[in-house]
Amino acid sequence: MQIFTQLIYSGIALGMIYAVIAFGYQLTFATSDTLNFGQGDALMLGALVGLTLVGLGVNYWLMIPMVCVFGAVQGMVVERIGVRPAIKIKSEFGWIMSTIALGIIFKNVAENVWGHDDLKFPSPLPESPIKFLGANVLPMEILVVVGAIALMAAVEVFNRRSIYGKAVVATFNDRDAAKLMGINTGLVITFSYALSSMSAAFAGVLIAPLTLTGATMGAVLGLKAFAVAIIGGLTSGMGIIVGGIILGIAETTTGFYLSTGYKDVPGLVLLLVVLALKPAGLFGKTVIKKV
Amino acid sequence: MIPSLKLTALSLLLASSGLAMAADPIKIGVDGPFTGGSSSMGVSMRDGVRLAVDEINKSGGVLGRKLEVVERDDEAKNERGVQIAQELINKEKVAALVGYINTGVALASERFFQEAKIPVMNNVATGSIVTHQFDDQPDNYIFRNAAHDSIQAPMIVEEAITRRGFKKVAILADSTNYGQLGRADLEKALELKGIKPVAVEKFNIKDVDMTAQLLKAKEAGAEAILTYGIGPELAQIANGMTKLGWKVPMVGSWTLSMANFIDNAGPGGEGARMPQTFIQEATTPKRKAFIENYLKTFKPKNNRIDSPVSAAQGYDSVYLLAAAIKQAKSTDGPKIKEALEDLKTPVEGVVTIYNRPFSKTDHEAITANIPVFGEVKGERVVFAYPDDAKKASEVRLKDANAKGALAVPAKKK
Repeated sequence: MQIFTQLIYSGIALGMIYAVIAFGYQLTFATSDTLNFGQGDALMLGALVGLTLVGLGVNYWLMIPMVCVFGAVQGMVVERIGVRPAIKIKSEFGWIMSTIALGIIFKNVAENVWGHDDLKFPSPLPESPIKFLGANVLPMEILVVVGAIALMAAVEVFNRRSIYGKAVVATFNDRDAAKLMGINTGLVITFSYALSSMSAAFAGVLIAPLTLTGATMGAVLGLKAFAVAIIGGLTSGMGIIVGGIILGIAETTTGFYLSTGYKDVPGLVLLLVVLALKPAGLFGKTVIKKV
Repeated sequence: MIPSLKLTALSLLLASSGLAMAADPIKIGVDGPFTGGSSSMGVSMRDGVRLAVDEINKSGGVLGRKLEVVERDDEAKNERGVQIAQELINKEKVAALVGYINTGVALASERFFQEAKIPVMNNVATGSIVTHQFDDQPDNYIFRNAAHDSIQAPMIVEEAITRRGFKKVAILADSTNYGQLGRADLEKALELKGIKPVAVEKFNIKDVDMTAQLLKAKEAGAEAILTYGIGPELAQIANGMTKLGWKVPMVGSWTLSMANFIDNAGPGGEGARMPQTFIQEATTPKRKAFIENYLKTFKPKNNRIDSPVSAAQGYDSVYLLAAAIKQAKSTDGPKIKEALEDLKTPVEGVVTIYNRPFSKTDHEAITANIPVFGEVKGERVVFAYPDDAKKASEVRLKDANAKGALAVPAKKK
């Protein structure tokens, strides 16, 4: 039983890492039907900028808002350069290539600035585990879970309660109608990219003490998070959390009970099953596209 | 080659290098991962190579010609290695190649050099079959001056089972060619001691969570973990153990000496032990000079070479090749190969003094008696046993009859 609890804990911690990255995919999809495939690289940049700031002597907690600002700016750049031109000409696929391209550029820049090696991110919390219900958890893992939920809750509240959030929702529901109602939908989309990259950068500094920090850290995480976004549904906040936890736990338990060689398989099988049976995701709303 | 083409190539070369030298330089290809998780090995190897080439050129070069290195980053990817091999052979026309860190890349790329009859001095990749891929052909162009896995695996087992008396051990290996070939060697070496590992687990490059693997080892009652992987993931294993509050000794392949393992594992990595052909300590005048030069030229962090073994072997590989070219009086591949198989003058390297390191049938310069055990202590790799440290100034020479190596299996068809 203790083993099972341990596997669940690790699965949840891992899943929340995926979820918080997947959340970024969702934000931009909600406003513009586009995704930033450089999400993993936005995360990597956030973590590396955070590492540099910490290296300069900035306190970990003070560094977080600074990294968030950096992430937001980075997101705007991605939107202006990569996404806006594609949306303007109503290109269906242009943004896919351009966000991937920008991601690769960011990765190469990071390799030149920060080097090629994986670096250690100093942990702001003690690194010794805490015993909780018979299994061990790292304080940093708890912080990841709490931080991820807090971030998602903050964005959800913003979207539901504030007038700006309503503009975001309106843009999602019907971009043309929103435009006619006087909403600057272009700005809303830029804003959603800023928010998306900000959450990725935030996720970066959150998980960096657990993973390792380096120019290539985003690639695998970005991909797994994409699977989570598909499983959970690109339109549902709840779905992202559940999807993340499912994938995380699937990985750790398969690793233990089946074989560590197969640990990535069940998550991906689940992805295929979801795509076949419920393409909008477990919690996604099926949208009928009227042409 | 058509003479006119040769002339064009030569004039192009002169134009590009801007040197108006009478003799064109001898090109040596350098292939390794200078980016990604294996980069600490690749970069240290490359720097060792640069150091040796620099020294040789300062003292007049080889056959009156300068050595010129053509460096390429294979990113630890097999397909990149293949592209680079073709480029170096067909476009750069290298006389020989030094390098290969990753066994998979070496296995995928070497056949191009074998076909082109250009010698390869493998200076880091340790997979047992790396030098045995072409055993069925009349001439084998692949040489190595690194401690291959058939030496390392029994050393690891000897350390864990005989010296430290562990009865139950778990194997954790990554899913690359390197990890899986090493795992097979470890299992074989354990079998010779009549021991079956209590758990054999796998992990992928870039995995961030090792809970499942470690729990399996823990549940099976492992007293020690034998590893075959590279720095970042090895560090995740050490960190995972800290998290589970379960700490057993790590004994593994030489990669446990990588800087990115030591730095990322922090206190969790202390005490890890691994076979090493070279430990960054000035135990002989040659080693002292090498370390001082390296630190002066490349200024690594905290005066610690990222991967001392790779740097030393990279350095030695160039000297071995230079000696062969000198003896062959030619940069012709088959002639260099013949000279390597019959080196008449001993080559003083950092790892050892290479006295007839190779023969027609033996392409391994390092034998089981050469490596010692290193241990991570105070974020550096030091001698694990005081006895080895005391005797370190006695250079360990190649002993073809040294016991402890696994028989290398015949090439699989």
